[in-house]
Amino acid sequence: MSRAVTPQRKAFNTALAWLIGLLIFFPILWTVLTSFKTEAQAIADPPIWFNFNWTLENYFTVQERSNYFRHFWNSVVISVGSTVIGVAIAVPAAWAMAFVPGKQTKNLLMWMLSTKMLPPVGVLVPIYLIFRSVGLLDTKLGLVIVLTLINLPIIVWMLYTYFREIPVDILEAARMDGASLRNEVIYVLLPMAVPGIASTLLLNIILAWNEAFWTLNLTAAKAAPLTAFIASYSSPEGLFYAKLSAASTMAIAPILIMGWFSQKQLVRGLTFGAVK
Amino acid sequence: MTLNTRARLLACAASALVATGATAETITIATVNNGDMIRMQGLTDDFTAQHPDIDIEWVTLEENVLRQRVTQDIATNGGQFDVMTIGTYEVPIWAGQDWLVPLTDMPEGYDADDILPAIAGGLTTDGTLYAAPFYGESSMVMYRKDLMEAAGMEMPEAPTWDEIRAAAEAMTDEEAGIYGICLRGKAGWGENMAFLTAMSNSYGARWFDMDWNPQFDSAEWKATLTDYLDLMNNYGPPGASSNGFNENLALFQQGKCGMWIDATVAASFVTNADESTVADQVGFALAPDKGLGKRGNWLWAWNLAIPAGTEKVDAAKAFVAWATSKDYTALVAENEGWANVPPGTRTSLYENQEYLDAAPFAQMTLESIQAADPQNPTVDEVPYVGVQFVAIPEFQGIGTAVGQQFSAALAGQIDVDQALDNAQKLTEREMKRSGYIK
Amino acid sequence: MATQHSRTAARLMISPSVLLLLCWMIVPLAMTVYFSTLRYNLLMPGSNPFVGWENYQYFLTDPAFLTALVNTLLLVGGVLIITVIGGILLGMLLDQPMWGQGIVRILVIAPFFVMPTVSALVWKNMFMNPVNGLFAYLAEFLGLQPFDFLSQAPLLSIIGIVSWQWLPFATLILLTAMQSLDQEQLEAAEMDGAGAFSRFIYIVLPHLSRAVTVVILIQTIFLLSVFAEILVTTNGGPGNASTNLTYLVYAESLLRFDVGTGSAGGVVAIVLANIVAIFLMRMIGKNLDA
Repeated sequence: MSRAVTPQRKAFNTALAWLIGLLIFFPILWTVLTSFKTEAQAIADPPIWFNFNWTLENYFTVQERSNYFRHFWNSVVISVGSTVIGVAIAVPAAWAMAFVPGKQTKNLLMWMLSTKMLPPVGVLVPIYLIFRSVGLLDTKLGLVIVLTLINLPIIVWMLYTYFREIPVDILEAARMDGASLRNEVIYVLLPMAVPGIASTLLLNIILAWNEAFWTLNLTAAKAAPLTAFIASYSSPEGLFYAKLSAASTMAIAPILIMGWFSQKQLVRGLTFGAVK
Repeated sequence: MTLNTRARLLACAASALVATGATAETITIATVNNGDMIRMQGLTDDFTAQHPDIDIEWVTLEENVLRQRVTQDIATNGGQFDVMTIGTYEVPIWAGQDWLVPLTDMPEGYDADDILPAIAGGLTTDGTLYAAPFYGESSMVMYRKDLMEAAGMEMPEAPTWDEIRAAAEAMTDEEAGIYGICLRGKAGWGENMAFLTAMSNSYGARWFDMDWNPQFDSAEWKATLTDYLDLMNNYGPPGASSNGFNENLALFQQGKCGMWIDATVAASFVTNADESTVADQVGFALAPDKGLGKRGNWLWAWNLAIPAGTEKVDAAKAFVAWATSKDYTALVAENEGWANVPPGTRTSLYENQEYLDAAPFAQMTLESIQAADPQNPTVDEVPYVGVQFVAIPEFQGIGTAVGQQFSAALAGQIDVDQALDNAQKLTEREMKRSGYIK
Repeated sequence: MATQHSRTAARLMISPSVLLLLCWMIVPLAMTVYFSTLRYNLLMPGSNPFVGWENYQYFLTDPAFLTALVNTLLLVGGVLIITVIGGILLGMLLDQPMWGQGIVRILVIAPFFVMPTVSALVWKNMFMNPVNGLFAYLAEFLGLQPFDFLSQAPLLSIIGIVSWQWLPFATLILLTAMQSLDQEQLEAAEMDGAGAFSRFIYIVLPHLSRAVTVVILIQTIFLLSVFAEILVTTNGGPGNASTNLTYLVYAESLLRFDVGTGSAGGVVAIVLANIVAIFLMRMIGKNLDA
């Protein structure tokens, strides 16, 4: 938005926004800084800001102890896998709901969302028993299935609200012009739907990446993602702030970087139909 | 052509299958993220060198998460783990459910008779060993010699609670950020309740009378909790209600505690100059008493056990034998020095002059372990086994709930009477429900 | 416009999602309901006899139950208030012309990418810890007594941590909504002599109402089941001061391994969550159709 404001006003806005932005970001910054300190420097009184001997030792220790890359890979497979499958299942549903709405469409959507409210702790034991009997414990496939199901309602809803914004008239016009259904989809609808699908994908990868209950409880060694990796660094014996910071940085960095690079795409479709 | 390709692919697949079959059997080991276990994880190569046919996967988790994961897995026969790290509390209960593989027929050369009798007693059911101790511990007083000296005091080898209070008072210097005493306050049956139950034993209190009636309405419990709160509120660090073993260890290593009554294994951490700023100033004493014949020390061991659901019993046994053997102790000594070997499990370790020289805390640890008696933990008779716990399955839940109440009292949300009253009521409720009391 | 043909096609397209969710909902739910009528403790294997309503009675008469219920509402409500108000204010600020807007936005949305366990660990240890935390240093620096957040104000501290995680989400959605606001309308109002405050009340807020509803709906779904943050920081304590319903169910079913009572608690939590859901749906339904 380009409104004309006085330079003083702009300077004030800038200062205030940067101050708040830095405050909000500070915990993450501090974690990253701490990860390069030694354990003793991490708890030094007064705190040391930048003037310490930067060391990578914590990262080596963490990698040596818990094979970061395997956890990382598991996280990637699980979050991307569940999201892609979820979106593949949800696109037709959301599409149909948006373009061929019936009397029950709204209720159906609300029902779907309400399944999200099932408290996971309440159903862990049944799921664990089912998973054991079909051999899905500690498999990436098992987690992909669970996370797909958990996030499916949100995916359907996001896509639905986005698709609904697509003007039906354009379709009619294309049809009048004699476009086949295939062409209609490829040349008219898809370009309009892509931003919505992209941001749905991104948001759900984030949600799946950070899901910490099922991923921790249904895995042991083979399929354990980064959430389980972190669970071995929470309150160990002795000084641990620097190692905890290194492990934390390693766990959040991939998704943070992905989020930053794709924030335009993420934001573009992240309206849930709220913008009209 | 196609056929040829397919045949080649098949051959490839077959050889791959054969290859994996020949190389290794993989066992998954669940363990706690404590220092000794992480050291064990670091020494995995020694095991795989001796057993090239066995691969190891580690699942290292924070204590509470680990306990929940392994219990859930063993109770549902989930089969996710081949070796589990479990505590002295779980072993008799799980053995009674036939959930554990008895540790008979251990690999040749495994000296089970060398295990300290006090520790082995807790792991044996009907004469059979069900878990092998990785390290064992009791609790004792660790104190700062320099601060005691500055205060003009001397710590007796076997102090009373009154002497502890006097020492705490003398050493506290809040200006300098030094707190006279650090004790566990974080809620949990294995956290604050381990300490408080052991303390209450020395005050003549007990969890249950012979008819399983909870005893929190007794004068002894009131005295225990009152004195504990008095110590902590006056001479303890801020935020004590969220301090467990690890938090207190960090505080002590930074020189912020005058005294710390906790697990004997902490001795090797607080005297390790790499981690501790007060390494050369730490003295040790037996856990305090009240002159009633029981001291406030507990008995615990982290053990390796094999769940009955595993199909890899032999590989699992090989691992358990390796990790709890004398050779493993020697291996750690060689790599990390004698002071860092896992303590409290083997008689031979306490007869080893090298160890006794390197570990100033060795004698006190042994005495503390031997002073604990899980069969007769209290002054008055009780129907249960266990020093700082009650070895019934319901105890985890009850102990943690009671721990929450005492932690709330420490945080100042409720007073002593309310905390004890709540504890009494909730324990009664649980015990009625489980059918112990009608 | 929709023909019979397209309706059938639509049904076909919707059915995979519906069937999957139906399975996901019904199978565990049926098992949970069934377990909730049994005396079933994982630590005491045996016959698991049928006990009817006993587990429900036991769960509902637990003194911690009411506390947990209140805490759940406080937690959800508290975080919603903070994030919605904070989000509107931040959104308005970020909507203003400034230098480095893109970077500021990156800074602001960052917490949303941090996994709950990590953020709880970092806040607990490196900030709120009364001895080694940064807040304690800050207090000392200012000559104050360090405040022990997690034991003196446990629920408030958790509300703070969770708000930090969700503020970016609210800000993003509200900012996007704000950017679609018709500038001419605002300028016209300004010409007519409407002050900044009344412009905000009469033009900006109504425009944001849909976005606010969306934020409330999505966040409520996630906030009702906040768990990791509590487990890591306070374990529901001290006492029950920060136990919410999810944590209470966890304590029953995974700390005591009383699957029967845990399942009963799970069913209660589902019923309560659905009551909240119905309220929300009513509200949303109105707001989203408009």
